[in-house]
Amino acid sequence: MKILLIEDDRETAAHIVHALESQGHSVEQVHDGIEGLAQARAGEHSALIVDRMLPGVDGLSLVKQLRAEGRQTPVLFLTTMSGLDDRVAGLEGGGDDYLVKPFAFSELLARVNAITRRHGESEPTRLRAADLEMDLIRRTASRGGKNIDLQPQEFRLLEYLLRNAGRVVTRTMLLENVWDLHFDPRTNIVETHLSRLRSKIDRGFGAELIHTVRGAGYILRAD
Amino acid sequence: MRIRFLHTEAFRLSAIYAGIFALSVLAMGSVVFVMTDRALRDQVVQFSRADIAAMRNGFDAEGVKEAREVLQQIMGKPGESDFFLLQKDGVPIAGNLPAMPARGGIVSLPGSGPGHDILGVGEFLEPGLYVYAGSDLQRVHATEEEILQTLAWLFALAMLLAIGGGTLVSRSFLRRSDAMARACRAIMDGDLKARIPVRGAHDELDRLAGTINEMLDRIAALMENLRQVTNDIAHDLRTPVSHLRQRLERAREESHDAKDYAEALSAAIEKTDEILQLFASLLRIAQIEGGARRADFTQIALGPLLTHVRDMFGAVAEASGHHLELQLGADVTIRGDRALIIQLLSNLIENAILHTPEGTAITLLLSRAGERALITVNDDGPGVPREEHTKLFQRLYRREASRSRPGYGLGLSLVAAIAELHGAETSLRDDSAPGLGITLSFPVTLQPGAG
Repeated sequence: MKILLIEDDRETAAHIVHALESQGHSVEQVHDGIEGLAQARAGEHSALIVDRMLPGVDGLSLVKQLRAEGRQTPVLFLTTMSGLDDRVAGLEGGGDDYLVKPFAFSELLARVNAITRRHGESEPTRLRAADLEMDLIRRTASRGGKNIDLQPQEFRLLEYLLRNAGRVVTRTMLLENVWDLHFDPRTNIVETHLSRLRSKIDRGFGAELIHTVRGAGYILRAD
Repeated sequence: MRIRFLHTEAFRLSAIYAGIFALSVLAMGSVVFVMTDRALRDQVVQFSRADIAAMRNGFDAEGVKEAREVLQQIMGKPGESDFFLLQKDGVPIAGNLPAMPARGGIVSLPGSGPGHDILGVGEFLEPGLYVYAGSDLQRVHATEEEILQTLAWLFALAMLLAIGGGTLVSRSFLRRSDAMARACRAIMDGDLKARIPVRGAHDELDRLAGTINEMLDRIAALMENLRQVTNDIAHDLRTPVSHLRQRLERAREESHDAKDYAEALSAAIEKTDEILQLFASLLRIAQIEGGARRADFTQIALGPLLTHVRDMFGAVAEASGHHLELQLGADVTIRGDRALIIQLLSNLIENAILHTPEGTAITLLLSRAGERALITVNDDGPGVPREEHTKLFQRLYRREASRSRPGYGLGLSLVAAIAELHGAETSLRDDSAPGLGITLSFPVTLQPGAG
């Protein structure tokens, strides 16, 4: 993927470039908002990674400007501000996701993957991976033709994993998207619910679908 | 003091009042004086007219001789006029005045000296025969002087009262404004506990002092808060940062291969994350306490929200051998920040899960008491001794018993900050039943049509 990184802190920028390039992405980087806006208009990028605080034009105004011009390139905001308000403002301003610095690189990679996939995709009403099926309208799930009874939160968890099938999702992504939690809980909410979900959809069905990716998160994958 | 006193608002006001007072006393005095003067002169003229009437009677009855007789009879009698003259064709016939130009009506004559001028009435008994009766005005002047003197005394007394009263009022005002200034100066000099004295008179100065004191309390609370955050950051970041440093140092000394290094680095990253988490929590509390988030308040139905929270933690509680039960006594709507209320409840439930032994039952309870929505998180675990209750909500307070567990003691101060932001009161269950019970009482939003 060709990614444009707009980040004024050169040390952070260098780290991000390194991480993305190690995953085979090509990264273009600029260090202020004005040049960032120009580059974003000039090139075709798969995703933009934009710092909120930039010299010249700040990140939020930059993205609002691009959206106003009809450019739909997925945007991941980076910020050192940890307030929920900033997150909401960022998403309302046209960002697709929001990441608070400092972050683990696995988190950054997972989120970049998630926003590029999500973009331009029509919302399906049925999700499928191997012999696992979900009907989002009727709110049913089945594997190998056998109905699986899921609690509401397990249903949302499975839905999120299925939508991101084949891609790593991090614990934080699950907390934010499944439970709407924007802080780090001290108990194992994610692990506990995942383990319950696994026991329902993976146990007794031969091949496991949900896998733990050490140090990164989880992935739903049909091998 | 004396000079400053002249520059006070109270002095200015009392001077203006004294001036107005003086003017009105002067005006009243003048009116009294003029009217008295007129009355006294009228009296003198009346006497003269009566005397002349007597002489005319004598003349009409028996001619000039009798008129002369009457004149001599009344001259020198007390209660009558002082000066008389009867003259024919400019030549005095009787009386104690020299010849004078004959004029009818009220006639003033210069007397024997200053203040002794004569006021009287002249009349022709027949052409060429002129009679005059008048009195020395000295008595009138004396009476008038007495009146003037009395008025002057009254004026002086009034001025004294006005100035004295004004001085007293402005001195009391000055004293109180001085006290305010002193308190302010003391605060500027660093005594943040200084407050403006309130006299208890409930007057406007007391109200002003009360308002200023409230403002000072608020500022002091914010300052204290800030001071504490700074202290907390200084003291409590020191520990994890020095731990981090120790680990890194030990890794450098003791690591033998790549695996050792990788492990040491992972541990260091984990420790760093903890430190950042602590930072984020402190900032978040400060942000919430700043109150800026009230703008994002929406209506929150607590029933569904509590169900969501129960679903979230039910499995977690079960996995650690606890039992989490939800009791919905009422569905109540409050105004608030949904994400923060979820965080508040998460904190309380996680505390109950993390700080009680296996087998503890945790109850999440929603009820309504009048205009308050009550959310209670109750457990039947070992509880917290009563003497520690007040400390529980302090920032970074960690019970001795929980020091070995992860966490920085920010959970309940975050709860307190969120509760405060929502106007909720926090109370701890205070009965003999085992365990800890924390109740939050939120103001209920009035339902449309219900109020």
